[in-house]
Amino acid sequence: MSHSFIAQPQEPHKTKASVRFFSALVKFSPKLLMAILILPVLGGLLGVILPAFGWLPALDKTQFNLQGFEQLIQTPGIIKMIALSFFSSIISGLLAFIITLLLLATYFDSPWLARIQKLLGPILVIPHAAAAIAIAFLIAPSGMIARLLSPWLTGWQSPVDWLLPHDPFGISIIMGLTLKELPFLLLMTLSAIAQPALNSKLRAQYRLALSLGYYPMTAFFKAVLPNIYPLMRLPILAILAYASASVEMPLILGPNTPPTLAVAIINWFHDVDLSLRIKASAGALIQLLITVSVLITWWLLEKIALAITCKTLSNGKRNYGDAFIAKGMQIFTVFLISTIALALLGMIFWSFAGYWQFPQAMPEQWVLLHWQSALQQVQTPIINSLSIALVSTSVAVILTLLTLEYEKQNGSQLSNCSSLIIYLPMMIPSIAFLFGLVWLQETLHANATFINVSLAHLLFVLPYVFLSLAVSYRRLDPRYAQVAASLGASPLKIFIQVSLPQLLIPILMASALGLAVSFSQYLPTLLVGGGRLNTVTTEAVSLANGASRRTSAVYALIQMLLPAIAFSMIWLVSTWQNKQRAQKMKTEVSL
Amino acid sequence: MSPTNEHNSLHIENLTISRDKTPLLSLNETIRGGEVLTIMGPSGSGKSTLLNWLTGQLPKGFNADGKVYLNGINISHTPSYQRHIGLLYQDALLFPHLSVAENIAFAMPKGDKKARATKISFALAEVGLAGLDHRHPDSLSGGQQARVALLRVLLSQPKAILLDEAFSKLDSQLRQETRELVFEQIKQHKLPAIMVTHDESDAIAANGKVINLKINQQIN
Repeated sequence: MSHSFIAQPQEPHKTKASVRFFSALVKFSPKLLMAILILPVLGGLLGVILPAFGWLPALDKTQFNLQGFEQLIQTPGIIKMIALSFFSSIISGLLAFIITLLLLATYFDSPWLARIQKLLGPILVIPHAAAAIAIAFLIAPSGMIARLLSPWLTGWQSPVDWLLPHDPFGISIIMGLTLKELPFLLLMTLSAIAQPALNSKLRAQYRLALSLGYYPMTAFFKAVLPNIYPLMRLPILAILAYASASVEMPLILGPNTPPTLAVAIINWFHDVDLSLRIKASAGALIQLLITVSVLITWWLLEKIALAITCKTLSNGKRNYGDAFIAKGMQIFTVFLISTIALALLGMIFWSFAGYWQFPQAMPEQWVLLHWQSALQQVQTPIINSLSIALVSTSVAVILTLLTLEYEKQNGSQLSNCSSLIIYLPMMIPSIAFLFGLVWLQETLHANATFINVSLAHLLFVLPYVFLSLAVSYRRLDPRYAQVAASLGASPLKIFIQVSLPQLLIPILMASALGLAVSFSQYLPTLLVGGGRLNTVTTEAVSLANGASRRTSAVYALIQMLLPAIAFSMIWLVSTWQNKQRAQKMKTEVSL
Repeated sequence: MSPTNEHNSLHIENLTISRDKTPLLSLNETIRGGEVLTIMGPSGSGKSTLLNWLTGQLPKGFNADGKVYLNGINISHTPSYQRHIGLLYQDALLFPHLSVAENIAFAMPKGDKKARATKISFALAEVGLAGLDHRHPDSLSGGQQARVALLRVLLSQPKAILLDEAFSKLDSQLRQETRELVFEQIKQHKLPAIMVTHDESDAIAANGKVINLKINQQIN
């Protein structure tokens, strides 16, 4: 080897402007990200606290007093509203938690776990409003369940006069929330235990328990669950917080007299009588208290459960009717999946149904009319949904990537405090700060509706995008960047040519998730947009109560199709990439 | 120092690396172009930390005091990517999203596209990898990947080379061949090199000074 392929060493060049700009940008990003999350939430909270105590300059009220709270207490049915909010969230959270555990315990060692994960996955991105509409269609007296069972079992020739959905006890709400929370909790848990090191440890412990004679489900509860519960806690608290203050589900499935507190607050806020805004603000603070007490209740339940079970863990009992429960769970799983399938099927039927008499299970006449007329009206909402989602998701993805790049360059992860701030919009009920945010934005720039709504969406999109990207970014082998730097690549070049291409699929996944979160936002769009900016979701919710069931079905389906399209595009890109790679490998082998 | 001394040399001056105020290692060395300094020692003795400091990527929690001169220029505070110190790990770490030729092109200075491609093909042929330009790195054998990684470093025109257990994942036959190739290139290009290794045979093959680090030299 006589030839030298090394040229003369170059002189060290000066740092280029683009590289300097990039490093400044990276340094600035975490601060901007924090500010975007903290300022609106804190500003919004302030904008609720002040009016709650009587200070509302727009109505010439500048004296602090407790009138708002007094009005609130005098509202008929207030206790029922509060109880409905509290119990529907805690019961649905509990149900989702128990079903998740039982599913995990039944299928921990079975290929069915991955299959159930795949089946339930898509539900995660179905907007709450669409899910609520689907469930309403399922359980209504003229819904799919009643049609399937009539008349051969029930003897009904016409729909019975049952108050379903909208039942006064909130059972419909609980059902809707549980069905929506279950996939979230299951998938969050599965992704947490998918980390290779933890997963192999858990599997080994599980097998060890089996070898000691523990029955499979008991082995899961005694050997695996204590190790994974800490990873489930945050997702549980997130669903509890969300459920306690959610608006779409109770609006579509809940009772009207009285509704849940969150729904009542929205009604007061939108009342023509502006002085009701004081009552609404006081209600928003009470709502915050409800959420906090739901979380505290969960914490107490956790303590009690721990105290009861800590001794049984080591009592040596190896079987708690395992075989019976496992059989029951298998039947339940079939029931669960057919319920979901039936809900979806019912909605598709309604959207194409012409003449459809009860108790026929299928429409007698199929028409395209509802789709045709809806598609004519839905264009503007679709464009609005898409543009808001694209703006908020791109900002969220770029900010997240830059913040994670800052983490990498700095060699340390975000502090616990900063991570907590990222979860803030997931934990604080949006109704508690959105009014304040509206007031703040109206004061600052009233006419920029599109920007205001996109900013509000960003608050909810950012945590999900960050959560989904952080795992992959932090898992990148840091040596690639070190090698690239030792080869003379600037941080900017490393970021664009080394890190980003390796993260292509995670970035696309996070973007699809961001789009889905933005598509599903109801309250921020409604409140911040002030009704001037209609999206598919706001249209679907307002149509759900009142308009024809057929139109409503079309809107709910369009709502589901938007995120579905986003995710199938990702799927196409990743299969295309895999195929290309496989092809390359193949031609190389034959060389 | 005379100019000949300054040319092609890596000089480490009064270096002390400590972790949480516990001194980890001290070093005072000059490596001339073409020479390989071998550093041996058990894990935890700070071998890799030394290399990290040299490339300007000292991890959090470590403190370093001292200076490093490359060809007579103090680069102690130069950012990693402007130091021109090449790095070879035990894994080839070829970028999985780039082809063999693209991996090498990534490292080369900007220039005429055609000239770069010719240079890459030529360099690949030199190390017995003719015609593999457009292959995906994953389809290469371990030895082939190691040679591509070496070419990638060399064509980035480094002024010094660091070897971090660079041969430890290769089996003995391949290990000897790759090692010979690397040392030959280092000599030919008169590059100062530091090699961190566990393996005695690496140290013997390097035919240079050997420093044995002990674990936590805690003499307060």
